[in-house]
Amino acid sequence: MLPPWTETMQYIRKSPKRAPVEVLRAAAARGRPVVQPRCGVGGHDEMRTLLTTLERRARPGILTITIDSFTRLKQFRTAAQTLQREPADLNGYPLVTHGWRRGRELNESVDAPIEVRHGSPDPRELFAVSLASGFTSFEGGGIDYNLPYSKDVSLTRSLAAWAQVDRLCGLLAEEGVIVDRELFGTLTAVLVPPSVSLAVCVLEARAASLAGVRCLSIAYPQGGEVHQDIAALRSIPVLARRYLPENVEIFPVLHEFMGVFPADPDVADALILYGGLTARLGGAAKVINKTNQEARGIPDAQANVAGIRTAALACTDLLDFVRVDEATVEEETYWLQREVAELVEPVLAAPDLAAAIVDAFADGRLDIPFSASVHARSEVIPKRDATGAIRYLNPGRLPFSRPTLRRNEQCLRVDRASLSRRLIDEIRSDINFFLHAERRFQADRATVECPGPANTGPGAAASSGGVR
Amino acid sequence: MSSRKTQRTVIIGVARSDAHAVANHLIAMRLREAGFCVVNLGVCTPLEDFADALVAHPDAEAVLIGSLNGHAYEDLRDLPALRAAGRLHCPLIVGGNLSVGSHKDGDERERLLSLGVDHILDEADQIPLLLDLLHAARATPLTGV
Repeated sequence: MLPPWTETMQYIRKSPKRAPVEVLRAAAARGRPVVQPRCGVGGHDEMRTLLTTLERRARPGILTITIDSFTRLKQFRTAAQTLQREPADLNGYPLVTHGWRRGRELNESVDAPIEVRHGSPDPRELFAVSLASGFTSFEGGGIDYNLPYSKDVSLTRSLAAWAQVDRLCGLLAEEGVIVDRELFGTLTAVLVPPSVSLAVCVLEARAASLAGVRCLSIAYPQGGEVHQDIAALRSIPVLARRYLPENVEIFPVLHEFMGVFPADPDVADALILYGGLTARLGGAAKVINKTNQEARGIPDAQANVAGIRTAALACTDLLDFVRVDEATVEEETYWLQREVAELVEPVLAAPDLAAAIVDAFADGRLDIPFSASVHARSEVIPKRDATGAIRYLNPGRLPFSRPTLRRNEQCLRVDRASLSRRLIDEIRSDINFFLHAERRFQADRATVECPGPANTGPGAAASSGGVR
Repeated sequence: MSSRKTQRTVIIGVARSDAHAVANHLIAMRLREAGFCVVNLGVCTPLEDFADALVAHPDAEAVLIGSLNGHAYEDLRDLPALRAAGRLHCPLIVGGNLSVGSHKDGDERERLLSLGVDHILDEADQIPLLLDLLHAARATPLTGV
């Protein structure tokens, strides 16, 4: 049983903790992103220990409760059974099963505000329990928590479920309680073209703001090419001014690289630092860190502490001397915003936004690559260009103008005839972008460790051919 | 290849317990480029759905099932029962990571073949070649390929 609405409102209002929106405002004003880890385990005591450990040892600006996949799919009974049998078998914290009293206990066990992160196409029960627990930051949207996660939930259904959450946020805002609603532009996390990510978020943000949401975090996934990533992050406030009402606060968020992560801890740490730096240069208010155990699965607390600290280091003034080529960023920005306009403007022009989104995905005028859902066509084929930036090799049925198509073509400069035979390998290689960096690093390290022919170790033969 | 008079059809999808979408999309792409009509059932597809798709597309040359999570055998367990019921009578090709973790590669192959899987592929790039071989064998049944 949930507590009465008035009791929940009172609990949230009387909380001595800083609200997520206040932490984000302060970060935006400072021009330095706060760092937030992902973390969630099945058992209650284990979850509390994890949160307090991360806070004590790494001081992240915002903490997370990641929800298990049974709860995401509303299989609350299975979540409860698994919790009773073996909590370690759950891949997150089953908040609905534990209930709001334990949620409040977690909320009160740390100073940092807590966001609930999950992946549910219909989050209504989870949102109710989150709110009763005092959590006023909640991730997801009707497109971004459906298409990457569920095979066959209609967009009509997921958009309607999320609209209810957003309307409730609107009511809360009228009573002075601001819920930070984060949109998951990361989508399938594999070679997501930046304009697809931003277009989906713009549409969800418009739907949310029409429902009354007053605070939106728009998350963009680090693609790996720094100019493109900075252009995308800096475009978020511009797109918000263009397409969203003035009374909505917008915070750009960077998700550190979500694709195939290097297993070598040194290279992984470098990538984590790179992500933090990209977030700061792009003007993000928040960065979600990775850990150097990413390649092996869910990280332990120790690795998460290190990941938070490494990302935070990139956001200090230590690296303020770093500059990027602003002309390249400007060029990227122009084309990126143009692509987003071509994707969202026809949809925004329709009288019923939700219906227009559903129709556009059915027709392929909106699309995401590598969708798990049958409700996106996935006709879009992304490809990295020579710089590593993500382009459209095949735009599917996206309604791009001739200049946009030409620009993508020019950036890629591929010989399509020979590519078609190697397509799978080429795209697989693009997906493994940072493994190539790892391989180069390891080759260099082998060279340094085994410098001459006098060395008879196992690396000697390889290094003699590898000296540059 | 697309100049053929009738387009060749294949049914593809990912095994029931497996949600890996990327390889599935890449294979669909590759086969479409090669001129096939691809009926893609996507991730988490039970064997029953493949059988239904074959009823809807009786001209399909083959059913290709991907499995990347090491549960191929469990996911295909119903194959003998379906075949006994007169369903899924079409070359069945399985590929992916069949031997994740502690499974022994050879054992896993034997187990899948014993269920009635017709072909097992290690590399997605081999798919068009195998389909062409099967196609040629069917067109000229006497040549022992």
